[in-house]
Amino acid sequence: MREAAAVTVPRQRALRVFLSTEDAARCGAWAAIIVAAGHERAASSDDADLVLSDAGPGGEWLRISAHGGEQDPAGLLAADADAQQVEAALRAVAAGLVVRTPRAAEPGFHAIDEGEGRKLLTPRELEVLRAIGEGLTNKAIARRLGISLHTVKFHIESIFRKLGVRTRTGAIAKAPEWRGQTIEL
Amino acid sequence: MANPSDILVQLSSALVARAADARGAIAAVRLGGGRHLTGTIWGPGLVVASEQSLPKRDRFELVLPGGGGAEAALAGRDAGTNIALLRPLQPVAPPPAQPGQADLGSLALAFGADGAGGATARMGLVNLVGPEWHSRAGGRIDARIVLDLRLAPAEEGGPVFDGAGGRLGITTFGPRGRVLVIPARTIEAVIPLLLQHGRVARGWLGLAFQRVAVPDALQPQAGQASALMVVSVAAGGPAAKAGVMPGDIVLAVDGAATTRLHGIVPRLGPDSIGHSVDLRLLRGGALATLQAVIEARPAA
Repeated sequence: MREAAAVTVPRQRALRVFLSTEDAARCGAWAAIIVAAGHERAASSDDADLVLSDAGPGGEWLRISAHGGEQDPAGLLAADADAQQVEAALRAVAAGLVVRTPRAAEPGFHAIDEGEGRKLLTPRELEVLRAIGEGLTNKAIARRLGISLHTVKFHIESIFRKLGVRTRTGAIAKAPEWRGQTIEL
Repeated sequence: MANPSDILVQLSSALVARAADARGAIAAVRLGGGRHLTGTIWGPGLVVASEQSLPKRDRFELVLPGGGGAEAALAGRDAGTNIALLRPLQPVAPPPAQPGQADLGSLALAFGADGAGGATARMGLVNLVGPEWHSRAGGRIDARIVLDLRLAPAEEGGPVFDGAGGRLGITTFGPRGRVLVIPARTIEAVIPLLLQHGRVARGWLGLAFQRVAVPDALQPQAGQASALMVVSVAAGGPAAKAGVMPGDIVLAVDGAATTRLHGIVPRLGPDSIGHSVDLRLLRGGALATLQAVIEARPAA
């Protein structure tokens, strides 16, 4: 058998990042993350690899744009994303990937959610799904909700059927997309 | 030498002429850090922009067609229809505009500001036309118009024209970066309200909901299969005063079932403020009805 060809991963170079925000505190926080990660702060967007800016009327989003990138914004994180997420997102965008947070809320002008095309969960099923997400066992769920183990299993089967999944992990992964928006009236 | 009877040459020349006509309606709204958004000069002294992308400020710096700078004051903003209105401190006036007609498959030309007094152009089709719809923020939009073109973030808020040169509205980003049009009719209706009050008053219950299935055992008495479960109650709001609690499942507002929101949002229009509505709900498996007096939705 032939030996597999050696794989080389290029050493990660420092990125030049331009910070575009009017919020001095936020600018300072971003600058700290960039320096700590070994990147450089660019003086203008023209000689930067990436531009970090805030988006949304209240600055709810952190946007990462790459020079000449096909998709803009290439990266979109919640404004309160932690240092690890920001660093990972910068690297990913620099490598040509598109980064999004799993948060259900998404920027853009949305129609009110009519819940079409979704099988809805009952309030009890929602509680069970939340408990699954916290990593609780069936026994622990039964104890927390004050119901029998049999009833917990019954609810889980119903949740799996409605979400079209077969495992707890599958249910957790589907939950945010399925849950839809919070409706405010 | 291009043949002037070539249909592509004719199309291209027509597009160039349209772009030249549109330029006078396009302003850049400076955001700082070298970034900008597009504003559409909608009428004399009036610049509209996409509310969702406009920072919360009272004053903005504009770049007018041709490159001149102008200060502008925020006249008002409405998240419900995603319209913000700016009033430049110096006179501005758009080129004459005819109302457009959004037909499925029609050509759509969208323009943005380049940030230096010039324009950027995009062309696509009207990808989808639908009836009026309600936004998550409670506004009524007169028509659903989706375009099949791409837009850069800086181009959002620019004018869109149909194939005949009629003005359809302004562009905005919908979910997943799709380009929507805020129809001219909606803009025309909201401008006077923003000029007069700075906002669009809407009725408010002070509740946040999640959509749920009504448990099978309760469906016979509820009379419906889905409803809205209260997940939070705004402190001191109308629903809090009425005694609504998290976990309550609201079946109907003023007789309109919560299975479909498009029956409910119109009941919370500007005229609803001060009126009492019945909230029919399930609490602990029993039916109850509470009365809430609708208040004006507080500014975000």
